[in-house]
Amino acid sequence: MKVINLFTSSILVTLLMLTLPIMMASTTLYTNKLYPQYVKTTTSYAFMISLIPMMMFLYSGQDTMISNWHWITIQTMKLSLSFKLDYFSMIFVPVALFVTWSIMEFSMWYMHSDPYINRFFKYLLLFLITMMILVTANNMFQLFIGWEGVGIMSFLLIGWWYGRTDANTAALQAILYNRIGDVGFILAMAWFLTNLNTWDLQQIFMTNHKNLSIPLTGLLLAATGKSAQFGLHPWLPSAMEGPTPVSALLHSSTMVVAGVFLLIRFHPLMEHNKTMQTITLCLGAITTLFTAICALTQNDIKKIIAFSTSSQLGLMIVTIGINQPYLAFLHICTHAFFKAMLFMCSGSIIHSLNDEQDVRKMGGLFKALPFTTTSLIVGSLALTGMPFLTGFYSKDLIIETANTSYTNAWALLMTLVATSMTAAYSTRILFFALLGQPRFNPIITINESNPLLINSIKRLLFGSIFAGFLISYNITPTTTPQVTMPHYLKTMALTVTVLGFILALELNLTTQSLKFKYPSNLFKFSNMLGYFPTTIHRLMPKANLLMSQKSASTLLDMIWLEKILPKSVSHFQVKSSIIITSQKGLIKLYFLSFMLTLALSLLMLNFHE
Amino acid sequence: MLKIIMPTMMLIPLTWLSKHNMIWINTTTYSMLISLISLMYLNQLPDNNLNLSPLFFVDSLSTPLLMLTTWLLPLMLMASQHHLSKETPTRKKLYITMLVMLQLLLIMTFTATELIMFYILFEATLMPTLIIITRWGNQTERLNAGLYFLFYTLVGSLPLLIALLWLQNNLGTLNLLVIQYWAQPLPNSWSNTLLWLACMMAFMVKMPLYGLHLWLPKAHVEAPIAGSMVLAAVLLKLGGYGMMRITVLLNPLTNHMAYPFMMLSLWGMIMTSSICLRQTDLKSLIAYSSVSHMALVIMAVLIQSPWSYAGATALMVAHGLTSSLLFCLANSNYERIHSRTMILARGLQMLLPLMATWWLLASLTNLALPPTINLVGELFVVMSSFSWSNITIILMGVNITITALYSLYMLITTQRGKLTHHIKNIKPSFTRENSLMILHLLPLLLLSLNPKIILGPIY
Repeated sequence: MKVINLFTSSILVTLLMLTLPIMMASTTLYTNKLYPQYVKTTTSYAFMISLIPMMMFLYSGQDTMISNWHWITIQTMKLSLSFKLDYFSMIFVPVALFVTWSIMEFSMWYMHSDPYINRFFKYLLLFLITMMILVTANNMFQLFIGWEGVGIMSFLLIGWWYGRTDANTAALQAILYNRIGDVGFILAMAWFLTNLNTWDLQQIFMTNHKNLSIPLTGLLLAATGKSAQFGLHPWLPSAMEGPTPVSALLHSSTMVVAGVFLLIRFHPLMEHNKTMQTITLCLGAITTLFTAICALTQNDIKKIIAFSTSSQLGLMIVTIGINQPYLAFLHICTHAFFKAMLFMCSGSIIHSLNDEQDVRKMGGLFKALPFTTTSLIVGSLALTGMPFLTGFYSKDLIIETANTSYTNAWALLMTLVATSMTAAYSTRILFFALLGQPRFNPIITINESNPLLINSIKRLLFGSIFAGFLISYNITPTTTPQVTMPHYLKTMALTVTVLGFILALELNLTTQSLKFKYPSNLFKFSNMLGYFPTTIHRLMPKANLLMSQKSASTLLDMIWLEKILPKSVSHFQVKSSIIITSQKGLIKLYFLSFMLTLALSLLMLNFHE
Repeated sequence: MLKIIMPTMMLIPLTWLSKHNMIWINTTTYSMLISLISLMYLNQLPDNNLNLSPLFFVDSLSTPLLMLTTWLLPLMLMASQHHLSKETPTRKKLYITMLVMLQLLLIMTFTATELIMFYILFEATLMPTLIIITRWGNQTERLNAGLYFLFYTLVGSLPLLIALLWLQNNLGTLNLLVIQYWAQPLPNSWSNTLLWLACMMAFMVKMPLYGLHLWLPKAHVEAPIAGSMVLAAVLLKLGGYGMMRITVLLNPLTNHMAYPFMMLSLWGMIMTSSICLRQTDLKSLIAYSSVSHMALVIMAVLIQSPWSYAGATALMVAHGLTSSLLFCLANSNYERIHSRTMILARGLQMLLPLMATWWLLASLTNLALPPTINLVGELFVVMSSFSWSNITIILMGVNITITALYSLYMLITTQRGKLTHHIKNIKPSFTRENSLMILHLLPLLLLSLNPKIILGPIY
């Protein structure tokens, strides 16, 4: 009994602790220079405390639900504040806190010259809180609070440098795509309310409904928006306009996986719906391939990593499509470590090279930035799924399971090609940024000796090496893994990855000194991001805005509605009064009539009697 | 009811007998105290009503609106101080008197028991509003705006008078408490259709329904700040309130009469939201956003399910506070830049950081961020329209997306970006303004903690 109490109370302490620095923001503490330090320390303590319930969960393996503070009852539906402490939330909370802790430490270095660094930390923490709400929510309304909260915080953080137009448009773009996803979420909420009369997760899962296609479509749309799946993906690379810590925290490890997390949460509904699974699978496969293709020819180091994030998110969606939510979740957790670290390494490089993000202007950094180089290489290898690094434990398993499942062969092929491309674009970063001769300005701003930078990356470096092993060792596999399979299937993932590495390296070496004359159409497709920005971001908004200006505003409001009612009424009044009135402004006629009557009366007077 | 009406009436002598330098302080404090009295009515049974006298009653539908009305008077007084700073004391007093009169009439409108009394008071609110718009507006277009405002509302509501007379003749009473039991089902016939139209049109114009909304942007834009606030916050809600009260008489005719109006509001909310995307005029943008939000209320009222009524009531209160807040913010810009054009006031976050916070919060409430009551309202409306017809979710979804877009477009244009040179020597924001914004946001946040009290009679 006591054990259970410690379980719930420690998780609540974790959550409540995070709100303390926010509350303190109204005191003088907020103006203190040490505020970032406090926030970081609070996060690290929260991480350590959250380990208690996690380990207790691993030991006892029991789901818990905290339900308190009844918010509102509308008719037969009760909404209250409730937390779901199950496998997913219990594992993800420490992971997210750990990553955030490192990123906060990193941002103390990265943002140290920002005059509003305290506000930045407050935003990061607010984001973390909304993420925690999202992860632990037990009903859809609470989930929606977290869901929208992370969206708004991402808006604020992407637009952190609000003087820049690009940052503002990127922030607005993120909100727009997220909002399209939210419509799906609201659709799902509306359907659940109408048909099941509940928003509680347990009750939703308990009710056996025949046709769940509508809410599942809504949820998939929501996930597509939040997790930047194909169609709604362009916001993620644009979001790189934000500061690098933001990219590391929101757009790699936590916020963008919220969509995948949502699908994992609602997996009990999806597991029997084959149609939705196929759609999910295809969506994920298209995303992972398309974004990998886009990543191949980008030159901005952050954009490459962003597209690789998008590609990995596609892989997670593929995993859900092959009915393996637990594997997708494992990949979320492992991916958080190395992807956050990759962003931090790129931040280190960018800072050292005086805000240079173009990989073509880097080179030879392995001598100048040895520690960053090490981490970048480890991170890239983990990303590609090198055996016994973190990524291996989830990625290899995913590909294996996909290989041995009865799945769509096209989707599988696409995923495999994307996996191979992961290695290719990782090689490209390593090759251009680290190897060869320096191509940057010889001004010496290179410095990676700050302990804030070293420690934060180091922590995630250990995470990228060991976390996968630790997590997959400690959790019981919930779906039976394939025990035996042919050699070629077993080594498939590794083979395509190594193939990608070798191919990319050879290509880079041979083409390095060649002149780049006429780009091929394939190159253009990849470099122009599949012509998405030109079509979707130019034609559609233009058409929409033109429509709202010309037809909604000018034609309907200013002309037709104005004409039909007020103008026509007044026109009619004026006209009819002119017609009806006896006075027409004919002065001559009036005077003539006066003269006539006058003359007549005079005559009459003269001639009477 | 006299507990509120008498003090409000006594506000007028207070205004005229106050010393010149105490006009604003006295009236603001006093009206704030009055608004506290109205909170008392929250303490009531959910499915019952308080009959205060034969003439007045409050139930859980009118209480939130009553609270909103009384809460708004001190805020209007606070907001108009700068606008009137150059006027003579007598004119200031006259202005305040007009606002007080308006509040008095609105209080009585929301609590009237008799429909005919409701109608008279409903019409009477036009007069002080008209005077406020046409006397204290900023530009010459105010006269045109006043004309539009008066004629749209009058022409819309005159048929209601005839309908009410006919109903009185047939039912023998127009007492709101009684007619819900006496109302006969209206069979479908030409005359009944006309009756339905006569009853609803007055409120549809007031809401306003898309197509009949032309008066609203004009009136909002040309009115002085207090006028815009009260128009957006309370006067539009008269329409929603009236519709919810009168639909009990009109069943089951509403079921099929509602279709064209629902289509119109679904279509109109998207049209008006997309107009917002192209607005250059800040006040006009907020006004069109009001039209779009009110279309949701019309939808909800016409669907007539318990959920939709709850949503409509919550949305009315939420929108009242939010749009009033937005108008205040727009006015604080106007007082500094002397223009409503958005592009002339960019990058203000740099200069007025606290004001930028209010802008942010206002935009977020306008786009219905959970868990604000705006979301509660919108969500319930979307739910009920979804259960009415699944396809509406597409239009609702488009509207939700565009609402978010224009809210943030407004935020980005006014607050973000680089500072322009001509606004470098503007005044800092006053404590008066900041507290004005806080007093708008505070009820919004507090109501989010317990939205039950603004969900109307049925929950």
